[in-house]
Amino acid sequence: MKHTTRRAFALYAVIIAFLAGVVILFATFVLNGGAWASNRANRHVYTAGQIASAGVIYDRSGAVLAQSVKGKRVYNASSIIRKATLHVVGDAAGFISTGIHSAYKETLSGYSLLNGVYLLKQYGKGNDIHLTIDANACATAYNALNGRKGTVGVYNYKTGEILCMVSTPTFDIEHKPADIMTNTEKYEGVYLNRFLSGVYTPGSTFKVFTAASAIENIPDIYSRTFICTGKLQTSTGVIICSKVHGKVTFEQALNRSCNSAFAQIAIALGNNKLSATANAMGFNKPFKMGNINIAPSTFNVDNANSADLGWAGIGQYDTLANPYHMLTVMGAIANGGSGISPYLVDRIVSPSKTITQRGSLNAKTLITMNSGTADKLKALLRSDVVNFYGDSRFPNLQMCGKTGTAEIGNGKKPNAWFVGFSQRPDLPLAIVVVVENSVSGLVSAAPIVNRVMQELASSYTES
Amino acid sequence: MSHSAEKKISTYKWQLMLLFVTAFQVISSAQLIFAAEKVDLTLLFVFAGFIALEWLYFIFARIITKQSSFELEMIAFLLSGISIVIAGSINDNFAVKQLIAVALGLAAFLGLLLVLRDVEKAMFLRVPLAFAAIGLLALNLGLAKVINGALNWIDVGGFSIQPSELVKVAFIFVGAVTLDRLQSTKSLTKYVVFAIVCVGALFFMRDFGTALIFFFTFIIIAFMRSGDIRTIILICTGALLGAMLVIYFKPYVAARFETYRHIWQFADAQGFQQTRTLIYSASGGLLGLGIGQGNLRGIYASSTDLVFGIICEEWGMLLAFFILIAFALLAVYAIHASRRASSTFYSIAAVAAAGMLLFQVALNVFGVTDLLPLTGVTLPFISRGGTSMICSWALLAFIRSTGFKQNVNDT
Repeated sequence: MKHTTRRAFALYAVIIAFLAGVVILFATFVLNGGAWASNRANRHVYTAGQIASAGVIYDRSGAVLAQSVKGKRVYNASSIIRKATLHVVGDAAGFISTGIHSAYKETLSGYSLLNGVYLLKQYGKGNDIHLTIDANACATAYNALNGRKGTVGVYNYKTGEILCMVSTPTFDIEHKPADIMTNTEKYEGVYLNRFLSGVYTPGSTFKVFTAASAIENIPDIYSRTFICTGKLQTSTGVIICSKVHGKVTFEQALNRSCNSAFAQIAIALGNNKLSATANAMGFNKPFKMGNINIAPSTFNVDNANSADLGWAGIGQYDTLANPYHMLTVMGAIANGGSGISPYLVDRIVSPSKTITQRGSLNAKTLITMNSGTADKLKALLRSDVVNFYGDSRFPNLQMCGKTGTAEIGNGKKPNAWFVGFSQRPDLPLAIVVVVENSVSGLVSAAPIVNRVMQELASSYTES
Repeated sequence: MSHSAEKKISTYKWQLMLLFVTAFQVISSAQLIFAAEKVDLTLLFVFAGFIALEWLYFIFARIITKQSSFELEMIAFLLSGISIVIAGSINDNFAVKQLIAVALGLAAFLGLLLVLRDVEKAMFLRVPLAFAAIGLLALNLGLAKVINGALNWIDVGGFSIQPSELVKVAFIFVGAVTLDRLQSTKSLTKYVVFAIVCVGALFFMRDFGTALIFFFTFIIIAFMRSGDIRTIILICTGALLGAMLVIYFKPYVAARFETYRHIWQFADAQGFQQTRTLIYSASGGLLGLGIGQGNLRGIYASSTDLVFGIICEEWGMLLAFFILIAFALLAVYAIHASRRASSTFYSIAAVAAAGMLLFQVALNVFGVTDLLPLTGVTLPFISRGGTSMICSWALLAFIRSTGFKQNVNDT
């Protein structure tokens, strides 16, 4: 009898196993509840695979980008704005995974751990999302890209608000083209937001990083001169320059984007120092913007010989750069070394009109640079515009920047880049433009910079 | 709080609990009765009848037995009440049937207690019960063969009866009595044969969930009797080998479990029930959408196998997890009651019954949420269905019987 009663305690093992299961179950609900509740099979939220009664998506001035009307998702009235904001807003069917519709579907469906989808059922809609973007600036950028593939991103480097984010190719969500799956040339990567998920060979825009490394590691860099004979012969290969620049200083080398000089600087710095600077300035780091993952920029010269290192120093070799990252680097240079993280969601407003989240409260410094280095780079980038590109290309904008013309091989035309910012105190905006398969940074990308920045200079100026 | 005040409260503990449980039942049923513009009189009578049944039980139990510990029945009535409200939220007819099931369950509970009062007399029932159990399973197997599917219920005049549920009660009774009374190898062998026949029959009915429950209960009973971990390990190893053989020769058994942990890949096929349970459980959040406001109710078997999901969605995850804790408390109660039992029979039966209930809860709840493979067993006391309710209450009698005094010379 005594034995039997003691054996009863063995049931405690079963109870403990049971309770462990209960805890695991609760934890999976807390962790996955939002994803489960936002599943397309949830008929509280979706009707025929469409978010039937989700919250409204607004741009910064209150223009409706997407809303639910009688169980159907409808978008902005302007076809241009629909195309320009397609990748920001996303589609209700979820093809564009970085779009607000996908990345914030829990928010739009009004899910919370406490109430589930109760708010949706009670108010007939989920949380509204107010974005930082300016739909008109996006339309201007879309028009300026003029059918070419690429991306334009603009953000306020003091606050982190993204004002413009456009990716092409795009399409009109209200009239989805029938040949979207078959015309692979026209719609190559159409569901990809190139600004967030794209990576490109940076070309000469990478010289900003090489210059930063030189400023920090070569004390007499400003008094050195470099000879450019149109190419640079190294023990392991030749680096080609765009022309014969002759004898140039560090500043002139950046202004004219001299490959010979920057390959020499990269080789003088060595693999480790150039890597250290690139990593410190955000290469090889996975960034997140709210719920959205950013494709990381990659830089690796571990196995590079001196010719490879020379190519890496001018942004070729294996290096790939992401536009969101490059924009943040421009922000860091413009903002005295502190690169504020760009963000898209300004505020989330619940159906009961309470603001449940503010993007500005989550803004943090993504990239930190020595402020002395940042100021020197800023002066160099300003000098690029003043002494080489010409202020006349960017009237009244006081632009600083660097062009890039990235060779991508395979007989394709190069990708054109422009990265830069305005140093006007009332216009604290940084910009990145990539135009695929075009002529050059100065010819293809710079005019887009000017159009978008002029539009914002008139509509968006800080007091 | 002063000492006397504390004592006063503990004296009225069960009365306070009853008031609390009744208040909960009134509030939850009122949501249904007054949901439509017109008061639903049928539901009003069903819930009034249920609460009357509950109060009558406690009042008479208190007067007759003079006991003041009613935790077990309190939990059972609380869960049964939830079951009736859920049934009523689907239609009135279900609520009436579920009330009848609770009444029958309570009758089975009291009837079994009456039988168990005297272990000596109850002993004689073990052989007829064992044969009745095997006969029921054989009948079920015969009918299932005709229909050629996984059939574990029989339709009798509008009520569906699950023979395997009734056999559960016999399984514990026979096991606890046999092992209590006779320790000879012969009697043990007989019980092992009985257990193998039961588990085997369930296996052929393709009711793997119930087969597992029986096997688990057999292990508990065997351990309670022998106390020998090695024997248990031996049994489990043997069972594992047997299971591997079955999977080798009958691949369809393994096929039934291939969706396990891959339900989202088969979300609209074999994973349909589990994915919908998770989707709608999450939709309810911690507080729930309100009784009758859910969407899981539209899914097949939602008020039987998937009822945990309905509770999560409509009553809230907090209440759903409170229910799981209540089942665990039931088992804790059984352990302590088993230690005070006056006979080894009561001791074994209480632990076996609590273990069986808890194991079934685990199979059901973790099965529909994909933490375990889905086996299609009911949630005791809550799933809609008469036999499941009656069996749950009858199992409770084994735990309650630990309170009886016996003058048996125990070994």
